[in-house]
Amino acid sequence: MGNGWQVGIDIGGTFTDIVASHPETGNTRAAKVATRVDDRVAGVLAALGAVSLDWAQVDDLILGTTMVTNAIVENDLAQVALITTRGFGDTLAIGRQNRRHLYRLDLPPKATPQVPPARRFEVTERLDHRGEVLTPLDMGSVMAVLDQVAATGVRAVAVSLLHSYTDPTHEEALATHLRKRFDFVALSSQVNPEAREYERTATTVLSASVMPLAAGHLDRLDAIKPAHSRLHLFHSAGGMAAPSVLRDLPLGLAMSGPAAGVAAAGHVADALGIDQALSFDMGGTTTDVCLIRDGQAAVTSNRTLGDRPMRQPMVAVDSIGAGGGSIARLDHGALVVGPQSAGADPGPACYGKGGTQATVSDANVVLGYLDAGRALGGDLRLDANAARRAIAPLAANMDMTVEQAALGIVRVANAAMTRALGRITVEQGIDGRACTLLAFGGAGPMHAVDVAKEFGISRVIIPRFSSMFSALGCVSAQMRYTRQQTLRMASTDWDARRLNNVRDALRTRLGEHLAEPLKARDQSTSTITIDEVALIRYRGQSYAIEVPDPDFEDRTALGAAFQALHNKLYGFATDEPWELESLRMVASLPKPPETTGTFATQPSERTGGQTTPCPIKSTPCWFAQANASQANASQTGPLDTPRHDRASLPVGQPLPGPLVVEDAFSTIIVPPGATLTPDRNGHLLIDTGLIDTGTTT
Amino acid sequence: MTPHIDPITLEVIRNALSAAAEEMSLVVMRSARSPLLREAGDLSSAITDADGFLVAQGRDVPMHMGVMSFTVREFLKRVPKDRLAAGDVWLLNLPEVGGNHLPDVKAIRPVFIDGVIRGFAVSLAHWADTGGAVPGSYVPNATDAWAEGLRIPPLRVFTADGIDREKLDIILCNVRSPEERKGDILAQMAATRAADERLHQLFARHGTETTLAAIAAIHDRAEAQMRSAIRDIPNGVYRGEDWLDDDAGGGGPVGVRVKVTIAGDAAEFDFTGTDDAARGPLNTTPFITAASVFYVMKALFGPDIQPSGGCYRPMRVITRPGSLLEPGIERPVVGGNHETSQRIADAIFKAFEPVCAERLSAGGATTSGLLLFGGRRADGVWTTLYETHGGGEGARIDRDGADVIRVHMSNVMNTPAEVIEAEYPLRIDCQRLRQGSGGAGRHKGGMGTHREYRIMTDDMSVTSMFERRVIPPYGLRGGHDGQAFAVNVVRAQGTTETMTGKTNMRLNTDDVVVVQSCGGGGYGTPEEIDDPDRKGKSHET
Repeated sequence: MGNGWQVGIDIGGTFTDIVASHPETGNTRAAKVATRVDDRVAGVLAALGAVSLDWAQVDDLILGTTMVTNAIVENDLAQVALITTRGFGDTLAIGRQNRRHLYRLDLPPKATPQVPPARRFEVTERLDHRGEVLTPLDMGSVMAVLDQVAATGVRAVAVSLLHSYTDPTHEEALATHLRKRFDFVALSSQVNPEAREYERTATTVLSASVMPLAAGHLDRLDAIKPAHSRLHLFHSAGGMAAPSVLRDLPLGLAMSGPAAGVAAAGHVADALGIDQALSFDMGGTTTDVCLIRDGQAAVTSNRTLGDRPMRQPMVAVDSIGAGGGSIARLDHGALVVGPQSAGADPGPACYGKGGTQATVSDANVVLGYLDAGRALGGDLRLDANAARRAIAPLAANMDMTVEQAALGIVRVANAAMTRALGRITVEQGIDGRACTLLAFGGAGPMHAVDVAKEFGISRVIIPRFSSMFSALGCVSAQMRYTRQQTLRMASTDWDARRLNNVRDALRTRLGEHLAEPLKARDQSTSTITIDEVALIRYRGQSYAIEVPDPDFEDRTALGAAFQALHNKLYGFATDEPWELESLRMVASLPKPPETTGTFATQPSERTGGQTTPCPIKSTPCWFAQANASQANASQTGPLDTPRHDRASLPVGQPLPGPLVVEDAFSTIIVPPGATLTPDRNGHLLIDTGLIDTGTTT
Repeated sequence: MTPHIDPITLEVIRNALSAAAEEMSLVVMRSARSPLLREAGDLSSAITDADGFLVAQGRDVPMHMGVMSFTVREFLKRVPKDRLAAGDVWLLNLPEVGGNHLPDVKAIRPVFIDGVIRGFAVSLAHWADTGGAVPGSYVPNATDAWAEGLRIPPLRVFTADGIDREKLDIILCNVRSPEERKGDILAQMAATRAADERLHQLFARHGTETTLAAIAAIHDRAEAQMRSAIRDIPNGVYRGEDWLDDDAGGGGPVGVRVKVTIAGDAAEFDFTGTDDAARGPLNTTPFITAASVFYVMKALFGPDIQPSGGCYRPMRVITRPGSLLEPGIERPVVGGNHETSQRIADAIFKAFEPVCAERLSAGGATTSGLLLFGGRRADGVWTTLYETHGGGEGARIDRDGADVIRVHMSNVMNTPAEVIEAEYPLRIDCQRLRQGSGGAGRHKGGMGTHREYRIMTDDMSVTSMFERRVIPPYGLRGGHDGQAFAVNVVRAQGTTETMTGKTNMRLNTDDVVVVQSCGGGGYGTPEEIDDPDRKGKSHET
């Protein structure tokens, strides 16, 4: 065995973060290194090196990665052949017939189908919606198709037969033959056993197209991994998974990075006894937000990634196109920010790499939040003059000072984020103002307090390791798998036997996923926890409501639980028949021991001590006046604002705003009226100073 | 004079209003009962100011949004403000009261803040049935308005005390699938309730004066955007026309004609030359006409123009009483909503060809391609499937048209085969692209769809309401026309019958309805293709 280290690594687009913990000694280390896009495996070794560890010292390594995400967004996907039921080969091209842009005639109204006609094949077979066989699988047609598929030269094949979510027999029979001739086979009944043929087919094709990439990556990791060290990956639904499972279902990695950050937020919320929290992760081009209840992230099963629909359970992270690089402009008398972004190159004007358009980051420099003298992520130094030059024309057009315009840019960007917070809470029937905002990532802590105030939130937490939070999510991850299956069982036509068969089948499959890690840890299957969520709707509705811990033995109680939730969400409920639309099952192993040591000092010091603490100084910063609804009413001058090194903050002592806290990778802004209190675990608790949270209307 | 508002506060409040309207649509889609709302998304949401002028909308159906610019204003002409109370929700579907056709029922809630009406929340939802002679309330042979189903004048169905049972019963007694309709009504009520709550928060947060100033500025800004778009069009008079296949009453094609006059930053759209009212249900309203005008202006000249009452200030839309577009209250209108509205848009697009051919798409599947299947399921439940069929997009100067897509005034989705088979007495034998249906050209039109419905019950009512069966989608600049829409019924005994565009048939078990939607027109002559490999080659997706 190694010597007890648990390591979480998050490989992002720009940086690879690592958090290592040693539960026995309470020792914790963290670091940030540049991502090696050319060789992600070498990046893992470099990250380990940055915290002075050798892989041989590691018991469990949990990896979050944007590899699959990037491949999808950049359309760097393997060629796939698709096999469907006869008559349905064009389903992928037909889609749902709606266009993406209502008023943009110039833009293509839908994405090009991922599989062109020449690689779409049909076999003779047919089920109905109950899974009854209308036409048996015709082996003659299968054999003919196998040769045609082989002739296309693909390595990956997707199979999506009509109604296969009710019975996978035909798909599995096909797979037996396909696996003899092709390296990668994705079955829709395994990837996404849910009704609606277009979404299921598209998801299965997407899954097949990232299988070669995922397998190659996992093989390479496996080859260099010391035999005794265990490797896990962080998957989209929140939790860690064994490489063997993700080899078959690689879309489980599509939201890996964001899911890890959200999981860490859930952990922190849990540890602090916060029942409702909102995670807030602001980056260069986007901001990710997610609702967390009782330590668990909300789960969704539909989203699009790079124009491709993807349907499977995953954390309900909402991404909006507003980040540090978002460009501000005046459009017919309104100040509009984003979704256009200056990107990484040239980046915001303050990067000094030739950008001339005003961005959110430029506003943060003008306002004195980002210290122009500091190095930011390597050799980048901020150019305050360039930031002012970029904002000056906007300010002139609005008849304002440059600082007032900068305050405006920040306020409009914050409004877009506030809107996203509203959306994700409304969808779940939650009053978001009662939530705590957990802010992390590069720019999140800079905007968090203002966003919280705008939304009506009174408490913000900047957790420890906030700038490498996804890596923390990895190291504190739970082994956890989620699957969802369509049932469509009416309350008036209840079939307890069928329900139990489906539950048994789900339990068996999830148990198989967990078998390997259990064996590795010498644990018995009795440590597995099964959580169920019933997705129930009135007959005729399409969107089901999540009913947690359903009591399938007592249908009256189940119906009552559904009606109560429906009433809470929509303000009405009726006694009409309802329908168990699907069942979601989550199987998990016990959470690993908490990695909380006491943190008298800041994590960045633990990276090897190359960062010297900033001297405390004061700089002028501009803030919007409290309760100002008009930007013109903002105060007339800057406030002399102290800047603290995060590591030097005294535990438990409240510090009133305005103040700025800096660590190696991020800046935390505490505006006037708000109060910051560092706790003994390294979290920064901020009271936003809202007097009335106004939770009733 | 409106008080000054800074660009920042304006954007913050505009964001919040749009978010509230989007939330309304979400509530309807999630809580409604009928597949038309939850699967196909045939609904829209709007927030207006205290006088009924639109200030925010969800990302919904263009046709609805145009109409809802007028709904509350016309409603207020019938119901003075002093009759409104906090907690009210009124239903309304009369075409002549800021409407379009009977199935699109609007739920209107006045939003009172500190005892004063500060705005209205409007939820429009297409009900799968509003009574009338045939299931789905599309009566193809209707010759008057009363044949088309239940006409709901402004009717207060909810008060602060809750639902008014008697009024609800009048409605439910006159529509098919009353339980499903009740679900739709409750969903629409819930949507307006959500908006009411958001508006209260907004006014509390920013104060009444600032919020009202922002709303005024939203109108002014939209006006400025529209004026600047119009200024970019050369001054002049432009004429365009397009044709309906027939008058839905046995007569031939009906012409829609527009004379557009651009003068500086103002535009006039004069439809006086349009033919007289149709005998059948293809008539429509001045509100739909204005909706089509707004759509074309936005799509051609200013995609970023904010939809708001202010957009209409620089535009004048003239319709002639007695014509197809202002037929009077006695005429049937159900199909005019999505068929004639597209003809109006096509006529305006064609008018602008001399000034902006490079921005135009060739003719596309500008029809809903609508079929309604009404029949009893094996478990005895009565069902109506309302299914639209997208077709090929018209090609453009720089690209081929997309296959199977909704164009221009509508954007309603299809219903998946797996949902249809689970919920209706129908089986889908196949769904494919209709090969060769896109018009040839330098760029090809998109392909239509080919879908076969097998009837699984006896005595099923099937109603059609589609266009472009006789007059195909047009090619542009030498591009060829797309293939016309075609629906055929293959009877169980083997005979084939053509289904016309506005008709009703009774079908039995194992009859098969074969839908072939139209392809898009091509752009530029096929001879312009430089690459010899491309010429004559079948369309690749």
